[in-house]
Amino acid sequence: MNIGLFTILIERIREDVADRLETKTGQLLLIGVITSLFVPLFTNGYSLDVAIQLLIFILVVTSWNFVAGYFGILTFVHAALFGIGGYSAAILAAEFAVPGVFGVFTAGLIAAVFSLPMALSLLNLRGAYVSMLTIAYAEIIYYAAIMLRGITGGPTGYSGFPVLFGGDRVALYYFVLVTVGVLVTIQYLFAINRFGLVARAIRESEEAAQMLGNNTRRYKVVGFVFGSSLAGVAGGLQAFNIRIISPPVLELQQMIEFMAMGIVGGIRSLSGGILGTVIVYGLMEVLRPIGGARLLVWGLLLIVAIVFFPKGVVGSLKDRFS
Amino acid sequence: MVTIGLLVQQIINGLFFGGQLALMAVGFTLIWGVARVLNFAHGGVFMIGAYSGSFMLALAGNWPLAILVAMAVTFITGVVTEALLVRPLRRREEFDIASIIVTLGLWFVLEHSMRLIFSSEQRAVEPITREIWVVQNIVISVNRLIVFVISVAAIASLFALIKYTKFGLAIRAAAEDDQTTKLMGVNLPRTYALTFGISTALAGLAGILLSPTFAVYPAVGDRPFLLAFIVVMIGGLGSIRGTLIAAITLALIRSVALIWVSAEISMIILFGFMAIVLILSPRGIGGVIDQ
Repeated sequence: MNIGLFTILIERIREDVADRLETKTGQLLLIGVITSLFVPLFTNGYSLDVAIQLLIFILVVTSWNFVAGYFGILTFVHAALFGIGGYSAAILAAEFAVPGVFGVFTAGLIAAVFSLPMALSLLNLRGAYVSMLTIAYAEIIYYAAIMLRGITGGPTGYSGFPVLFGGDRVALYYFVLVTVGVLVTIQYLFAINRFGLVARAIRESEEAAQMLGNNTRRYKVVGFVFGSSLAGVAGGLQAFNIRIISPPVLELQQMIEFMAMGIVGGIRSLSGGILGTVIVYGLMEVLRPIGGARLLVWGLLLIVAIVFFPKGVVGSLKDRFS
Repeated sequence: MVTIGLLVQQIINGLFFGGQLALMAVGFTLIWGVARVLNFAHGGVFMIGAYSGSFMLALAGNWPLAILVAMAVTFITGVVTEALLVRPLRRREEFDIASIIVTLGLWFVLEHSMRLIFSSEQRAVEPITREIWVVQNIVISVNRLIVFVISVAAIASLFALIKYTKFGLAIRAAAEDDQTTKLMGVNLPRTYALTFGISTALAGLAGILLSPTFAVYPAVGDRPFLLAFIVVMIGGLGSIRGTLIAAITLALIRSVALIWVSAEISMIILFGFMAIVLILSPRGIGGVIDQ
């Protein structure tokens, strides 16, 4: 990349950030980012756990939005790839003594490797058929995780692997914050550049995007594999966060929870993924005392969001203030 | 050692199982074929049928009445779902995806509201009869035979409805070309709502018929739904005949395979088969036979 292109890139980012800071969503995000730097100063114990979990979910949901919202590939295999990342990080740490920080990123790579054949097989399918094929993949991975007891620990899950940073939760928090921050920023850079533009063109009309000379198949494969690798990294972080990884994280139910967060926020933007995760996960934490009935709320949120706020919270905010 | 007897036994079990699967799968594929909705709440409706029917059974002790109540309640559930949740989405550009999400939400709502009201406890249901026939060491449960016969009768009635009635003609026309159908004076919203109701009533029928086998609890519909889902994808989404063939074939394969492999491996095989069909020929068996 020469200097001229680089200056254009920087200029574009500067303009885009300046534009966004004038919107309500942008200001909310800025407040969020600043707050996130100081979280460990105010809280300890449980609240810190909530904050770590929130950051990890933000990475999963934004990367799902990246695939489902930008490209229009409504994938159901994201939670399963998140789980593959989790198992990978845990097994690498326990069996091969791979340092955790390195293991987290290797987990992303492994999820990417798993997602490549899936991405290729999805190329000729559209709409609902994409969802069906990815559900089949997700279920195969789920049952395989239960069946392959020798590798995954079977139904009870995989635990007892080395902890990260000697179990220091504040260090873990900052590690997660930096990782998620960097990866969300990379998604943002993709989104505001040519790549994001082509992705949205593919969503609106693949034929038109193709006729303008874009190799849409390559864009779709790269987008799917990249989004999936981020789910893998998030899974790796999750393994070190909760210190056990078990088949329920691969289940369709987990996928639907991620989808609910993305859809409530608005799947067509990164900020939608972030705000949706904060709102829905926050609401679920508030509702913790009602126990199992929370799953009822998940369902209601999905229905209300899709019927009344098809563009999500971010889209509705935009409509209201502009 | 696998004896011929065991093989025959598993084939009979598979055939019975195929009838049950077909009952779930036919309704699922019907809604897609006519109204272009993948109803993810189909398993939830199965569960509603199981609860409402088993309550009637406990109250009146009468199976025909229990079946009637289960079908009536789930028919209404289907019509209301179409009118309140699916219809408002119909003008959306990505209607197929929006309807997947809204029915997923409904599935969660149905399952977890029942869990809230009745807890996760499994309720046993007394079978229609406990009689068992033994022919040459092969055991045939009369209850399951009756269930099989009722399922076949229900599917046959559906075929007759689609083929010989005016409403069936409207259904076939809407599946072919909704705009032209509308121009011909067919009330499309009503056709969609009734199709939804018929489809969910079949799921409700399956729910009450299988309640003696599976018991009744909030998640009871999940596994039948996943299996029906695989069947429909392999049979060819929207093709009722393809779905029937796939239901019987898959049920036989699964029952025989269970002699050698665990339930998890059999699910991996089925989902793997489904993935291969989707990749190679997304229209499934129906794409081949419905030319």
